[in-house]
Amino acid sequence: MKSTLSLFAILMMALLPLQAADLTARQIMERVDDRDDGDNGISDMVMTLIDKKGNKRARKIRSYIKDKGEDKQRIMFFMAPADVKDTGFLTYDYDDYSKDDDQWLYLPALGKSKRIASSDKSGSFMGSDFNYSDMTSRNLDAYDFRILDEKEVRGAKTWVIEAIPKTEEEIDETGYSKSVLFVRQDNYMVVRAVLWVNEGGRIKYMDSPKIELIDGIWFATKQTMTTKKNRRTVHKTELNFYNIKFNQPLDQAMFSLRRLEKGL
Amino acid sequence: MHTQLREKIEDGFGHFAHLIYRNHWKVLLLVLLFVAGLATQLPKLMMDTSTEGFLHTDDPALTAYAGFRDQFGRDEVLAIAVTAPDLFDLQFLNKLKQLHEELRDNVPYLDDITSLINARNTRGEGSTLIVEDLLEEWPEDAAALAAVKKRAMGNAFYRNLLLSEDATTTVIVIKTEAYSSLGAEGDALDGFDDAFEDDATSIERQFITDDENSELVIAAHRIAERYNGPDFQVRIGGGPEVMYKLKQVMQTNMERFIRLAFGAIAIALFIMFRRITGVVLPLLVVLFSLLSTLSVMAIAGIAFKLPTQILPSFLMAVGVGASVHVLAVFFRHLQQGNSKEDSIAYAMRHSGLAIVMTSFTTAAGLISFAGAEVAPISDLGILASSGVLLSLLFTILLLPALLSIIPLKAKSGRSAEKRHAAMDRIVIGIADFATSRHKLVLVLSSIIILIGIIGATKVRFSHEPYKWMPTSMSVRQAGDFLDQKMGGASVVEVVVDTGRENGLYQPHILKGLERLKQEIEQIREGPVTIGKTLSVVDIIRETNRALNENQQIFYTVPDQRDLIAQEFLLFENSGSDDLEDFVDSQFSKARFTLKMPWTDSIHLYKLSDDLQKRFHQQLGNDVVITVTGMNALLGRTMAATIFSMTQSYIIAAVVITIMMIVLLGDLRIGLISMIPNLAPIILTVGVMGWLDLPMDLFTILIGSIAIGLAVDDTIHFMHNFRRYHLASGDVADAVRRTLLTSGRAMLVTSIVLCLGFFIYMFSILTNLFNFGLLTGLAIGIALLADFFLAPALMAQFYKLDTRGKR
Repeated sequence: MKSTLSLFAILMMALLPLQAADLTARQIMERVDDRDDGDNGISDMVMTLIDKKGNKRARKIRSYIKDKGEDKQRIMFFMAPADVKDTGFLTYDYDDYSKDDDQWLYLPALGKSKRIASSDKSGSFMGSDFNYSDMTSRNLDAYDFRILDEKEVRGAKTWVIEAIPKTEEEIDETGYSKSVLFVRQDNYMVVRAVLWVNEGGRIKYMDSPKIELIDGIWFATKQTMTTKKNRRTVHKTELNFYNIKFNQPLDQAMFSLRRLEKGL
Repeated sequence: MHTQLREKIEDGFGHFAHLIYRNHWKVLLLVLLFVAGLATQLPKLMMDTSTEGFLHTDDPALTAYAGFRDQFGRDEVLAIAVTAPDLFDLQFLNKLKQLHEELRDNVPYLDDITSLINARNTRGEGSTLIVEDLLEEWPEDAAALAAVKKRAMGNAFYRNLLLSEDATTTVIVIKTEAYSSLGAEGDALDGFDDAFEDDATSIERQFITDDENSELVIAAHRIAERYNGPDFQVRIGGGPEVMYKLKQVMQTNMERFIRLAFGAIAIALFIMFRRITGVVLPLLVVLFSLLSTLSVMAIAGIAFKLPTQILPSFLMAVGVGASVHVLAVFFRHLQQGNSKEDSIAYAMRHSGLAIVMTSFTTAAGLISFAGAEVAPISDLGILASSGVLLSLLFTILLLPALLSIIPLKAKSGRSAEKRHAAMDRIVIGIADFATSRHKLVLVLSSIIILIGIIGATKVRFSHEPYKWMPTSMSVRQAGDFLDQKMGGASVVEVVVDTGRENGLYQPHILKGLERLKQEIEQIREGPVTIGKTLSVVDIIRETNRALNENQQIFYTVPDQRDLIAQEFLLFENSGSDDLEDFVDSQFSKARFTLKMPWTDSIHLYKLSDDLQKRFHQQLGNDVVITVTGMNALLGRTMAATIFSMTQSYIIAAVVITIMMIVLLGDLRIGLISMIPNLAPIILTVGVMGWLDLPMDLFTILIGSIAIGLAVDDTIHFMHNFRRYHLASGDVADAVRRTLLTSGRAMLVTSIVLCLGFFIYMFSILTNLFNFGLLTGLAIGIALLADFFLAPALMAQFYKLDTRGKR
């Protein structure tokens, strides 16, 4: 649980806005990393995949998250479409970057759960434009950060921070050779990001057009990721979150293989 | 044509010549301004050696291909084959990795690169599903290497794609951008501002350009060549390489043709006139018309394509004829002691009408290509006919103006007369033989034409740009190697559209595709051999097997719809984006790629129909099947070629026949005059049939080009023959006088034209050799037909005619 610390941070920032301006890029990113993003949360997510012709395809997913120490656990079940209903994913995202994340999946049609071994986070998350590294936190030590500019995004002041990976390994793992993040100065949320994909000349644009304060936690209830190539959209994903609740009584059994196989 | 009208026109040309003589500087200035103005557009000239460039942009086959490219990207890949004694050797793999990374980081317009280094490797180990790159974990010892080798060799997907069956060759596959990145520059950070909807206009995008293609191929060559060595033999093949090499060859060819055309024409002109002006003036006329035509090409945005590479040299050879006719008469008149102004006017009065007529018939022969379904053939028709007319314009305006400006005097000496006398004797001999032995000439001609017709029925069609390049070129060696070792590097693409979201979840569709895979990989029909197919079947099979503890019996498409859906979801989630190469994001369309060696397009045309049938048989009639990809385009080009040829030959023959009838003012003589016009074409096509030379994109041009040119000689012959026959009523005398006056110019222009076409025999592209040889031959036959067959026909005609009147 980081909430007390983060609440304190928000308080500090409200009281001392001038100090914030003097932060280094690295310090800002640390605050982004330390921001309270909720614990014991439940949410429903509609993932809409939009191809370049505008064809849409929706998936509905219920997910549960829990912090276990510094690690993050997540279990997700597909609710729609019917063909993949009850397909489940269980992930343990370890704070220790040297350790590969664990991932299991359960295919109801197969009646079996499988552990997925992959050290690569650059692959697509559920066929969307988001990849796994977008869904997990980054290892700050693997980057050089630099403040490029300050810009307003939808009326809120942001720092525009460039992040360059220090190692080829980090590039391979995240799939990005460079990123530029728009960090809101009032709540340390990354509300926009431009991500340069390592291969194929693609650039991805993450945007959080809707941010809400839920149970005291800033949450992007709408997020988009648009993949572009030569300034043209190749594909786009829209995530809309509903029924978000934090601090729910979720016990450890919720994040187990047994639960994964049992379904919702 | 009515005699009085003709005289009026001839007088008109005389007056016009006087007018130009008096205003020569103004005319020259006007012409110079006109050409210079046009020439400013020349830098816009482009080249296009792409497969799709053969078709018009609105061709249905190209529309289907554009749809394919929009969805799945460019089908033609750059294949970099590396051969080594042992591929699974640490040193080799390290070098391969370096090459892979250097290519990935430095080749522009690269969309995706796949090799053993990053090949997808999905497998099950106990209850764990492993999705990783083949060499995700770098092998450190012999045991690890052996494991990698076993995995790689056991992967059916790699075979003939990344790895040869004998494990001596591996291929790095580079998928390039499908679209040009022209106009895509700008600040990436602005990307949020352009709304998603505003680029729905993506259809208008330009395919990757020739220049961009060359850029990427050159970059790949530069990198790969540094790695080349005895234990690391690099060969580069695939569509982008072929396109690049064809472009290089085309540039070299064009320069060579233009130089040779200049040389050949200059020599022929010098032999004829023995004067510097006789060489320089026609060349200037030709140069001006060439510059203007190329400018028109640039303004119209028409790129040079493989068939249009002949345009510059072709225009030079064809355009010089009109000047030769004018100059021949001019110099003769000047030599006879007349003033320069009078000589110019005389020459224009004498030849003006004839050169206008011959230019128009030549243009008519060429414009018959304008409606061709093969885009560059249509371009050639439009441009070459405009070029011929521009050249007529310059002959009428520029030539008299220049003659007026340059100081010229009659030459003394008798050598010219001696030469003329010798030639006259030959010409008279021919004339007398043809008229007195006209029956023999006619019978012999009939037999020869009959043999020609029999040969013509044997002609086969062919379109195989890859094989146009000689085997001595590295691109051919690499391509032949890939054909032999890796089952080819050219492709046919089939797109199955189920018409509904998640249509591909249906087991009968995927099972059908699985059966098609088995069936199609067995195709060994003569020159068509399918080396490998790639489709979503490969992905679902390997996922299914991996989910079932790697048991080979599960290397199949599952029967249940929900399992298929879930396995797709799993794959989508597994870190690989390979699925987007094979299905659309709606899972409504599947791409099915057939990899095959290069083959003649004549077979590909049939293959398209065959595939349509096979797919419908397995998948039912609810799905829409589109056969496309580079090879399908080549097949379509072939069909278009055959159709275009028939169309163009008929148009040319009909239009020119009508023109001859109008020009000669007599239906029967007009029709008879077509016999010596058509005979050369029948004989040339006959020769092609007998010698098994294929009718391809170049040789198809021969007929309409030859008829347009052959008719010039016939016009000169018939025109003068009618005039003399009207005067004397004696056929033999009229033929003799015709050949004496026009015969020499006919001979010289024919020689220039023959030489002009024979220079294509110096081409690097083998099929241009045939084109040059055969067109030259056709021109030669046309001259013989006008020297022998036309007089014999006239003799026979007037004999029957007078007998009939009695």
